[in-house]
Amino acid sequence: MLANFLIGLREGLEAALVVSILVAYLVKSERRELLPRIWAGVGIAVAVALAFGAALTFGPRGLTFEAQEAIGGTLSIVAVAFVTWMIFWMSTAARGLGTELRGQIDRAAEGGRWSLVVVAMLAVGREGLETALFLWAATQAGTRDTVGTVTPTWEPLVGALLGILVAVALGYLIYRGAIRLNLTVFFTWTGAFLILVAGGVLAYGIHDLQEAGILPGLHTLAFDVSDAIPPSSWYGTLLKGVFNFSPATTWLEAAAWLLYVVPVGGLFLFRTRFVRPTRQLQEH
Amino acid sequence: MRIKTLLASAAALAVVPMLSACTENASSGGGDAKADARALTVGSSADACELSATEAPAGTLSFDVTNTGSDVTEFYLLGSDGLRIVGEVENIGPNLTKKLTVNAPEGDYFTACKPGMVGEGIRAAFKVTHSEDEQAVSASDQELIDQAQTNYRAYVQDQSAQLLVKTKEFVQLYEGGKDDEARALYPVAREHWERIETVAESFGDLDPLTDAREADVDFAAGEKWTGWHRIEKDLWPQDAKGYTALTSAERTTYGDDLLANVTELDGRIQATGSDALTYPIDAIANGSIGLLEEVANGKITGEEEAWSHTDLWDFQANVDGARVAYEGVQGLLEGKDPELAKELTAKFAALQSVLDQYRDGDGFVLYTDLTPADTKKMTDAVNALSEPLSKLTAAVTS
Repeated sequence: MLANFLIGLREGLEAALVVSILVAYLVKSERRELLPRIWAGVGIAVAVALAFGAALTFGPRGLTFEAQEAIGGTLSIVAVAFVTWMIFWMSTAARGLGTELRGQIDRAAEGGRWSLVVVAMLAVGREGLETALFLWAATQAGTRDTVGTVTPTWEPLVGALLGILVAVALGYLIYRGAIRLNLTVFFTWTGAFLILVAGGVLAYGIHDLQEAGILPGLHTLAFDVSDAIPPSSWYGTLLKGVFNFSPATTWLEAAAWLLYVVPVGGLFLFRTRFVRPTRQLQEH
Repeated sequence: MRIKTLLASAAALAVVPMLSACTENASSGGGDAKADARALTVGSSADACELSATEAPAGTLSFDVTNTGSDVTEFYLLGSDGLRIVGEVENIGPNLTKKLTVNAPEGDYFTACKPGMVGEGIRAAFKVTHSEDEQAVSASDQELIDQAQTNYRAYVQDQSAQLLVKTKEFVQLYEGGKDDEARALYPVAREHWERIETVAESFGDLDPLTDAREADVDFAAGEKWTGWHRIEKDLWPQDAKGYTALTSAERTTYGDDLLANVTELDGRIQATGSDALTYPIDAIANGSIGLLEEVANGKITGEEEAWSHTDLWDFQANVDGARVAYEGVQGLLEGKDPELAKELTAKFAALQSVLDQYRDGDGFVLYTDLTPADTKKMTDAVNALSEPLSKLTAAVTS
């Protein structure tokens, strides 16, 4: 039960984080009319993931292992590109807000409309396929008659769904917390936080491609702290869910993380330091 | 416009690999015995990894992995080096079953369950056997070459490791004076040597110390006779005229010496990194040819085991080694000269069926029990194979 709960929590957290920050941003910048786009993106991702999961489980054809990893890895890297774009788009819009040039925000939001759908879709869809496969597997559990025998039970499904619900609740709390922040603080913190999240997603994507055999170095580990942070423990799950932290990290993953986080983080800090809003939106 | 392009490329990125990388979902159930052999089940608990079978025919395999433990688990199918991931399923929660579907060509593999998702996992060897309807697996020449080299290296290392284990056992029996048991183990231990004889012989320093026949030793020049055949003569002295049995101290000297040389050989074969042996494709093909020549030169004439007369064990082992080397490059050959591949497969089978007529229990009849007609039959089968086999290297490297 707990193990299945933690899987649901982890997969759910990865998606809920980005979505909650997106929603908080739109609410704070008073562009609530764009919220349906976010929910559309989330909806599309969930539907597509469930459909694929069902098709791959019950259909006549499944994905090869390499294909699963290649898709997962590629989508992760695409997601990083979009989240990075979003971070800088938000900070540009923030500058517009600060100087009260509504026209600028409108233009920024105009360009970002469909991107918002894509960002939400990728954030949810990236882990969606895996989660969907998990949920379908859970509905099939207990039908084995040889070797591995388990009694039919709803427990795994309930555990995973509870995990996802807790993830959504955590996402909501993050959203509430973000709403309370003033806009400058909001951008600095969520931006910095998202850069760390995106760095983790990038490293995770690299790892997938290494497993698919597309990139080398799967067994050249930079460090392995699996003993101290077991991946199936609750804190291992949280670290993985939030930052995609892997206790056994390859050199290539570590290098990709550093090469992303250091320059992007540096650029982000450089830009936010020069944003001095004259009017700060207070919580409403 | 720009956004649309981005959207389109994101969609394309996701869809293209999906289209190109679909694989048949192996059917489970139904009456098709062939499909069933490819549908395996795995039970992964906290301390066990149970598979419904340890081998399957090549093709699209499916593993239904059920987590019977209380922690999250993972299941891997690894290549023969134990490193390359052929397929994996992660995040299998307790009480759940997830399916891994992989296209696996013939070869040696490892399976591993990883309860708690840490460490090496609970590993076991897994074999994918040859299958006629393997055609779905289309690999480029380079992949076939890499695979042949990896498989042949694994085969040689496996045989060498077994040789070392059995030699140790044999030397213990021999030095301990348990002659009957030592005699029984002698041809069995040597099988592993004979299967990789062309590789073992490539070490010019070790081969004469280990496998020299009495007739090959130049006693006049002060050469010493050591190794397998020296001990063989001591265990089967009945054909030797005026033979003086070795003393217990001498037995220890020769036994320890044999073990030391086989240990050294195994060390070189198992070496990794810059000392690792390489098996280029022409060397594998030539190894197959070379092993069959060994049969023609030594085994069919009864010269190899002059005292024990267990030549047919060596014969079989040489043929085994030649066949494995040939099968390693067979996929490559089928793309280049399918006629030759067909002929070789048929001739290997024909030679094997001749040899099978001389089986006796787990082993073979002694060479001294063969009539000239018997050896003629074997010579014909060997010649029928060696003629087309001599074209193998040229065909696979063309």
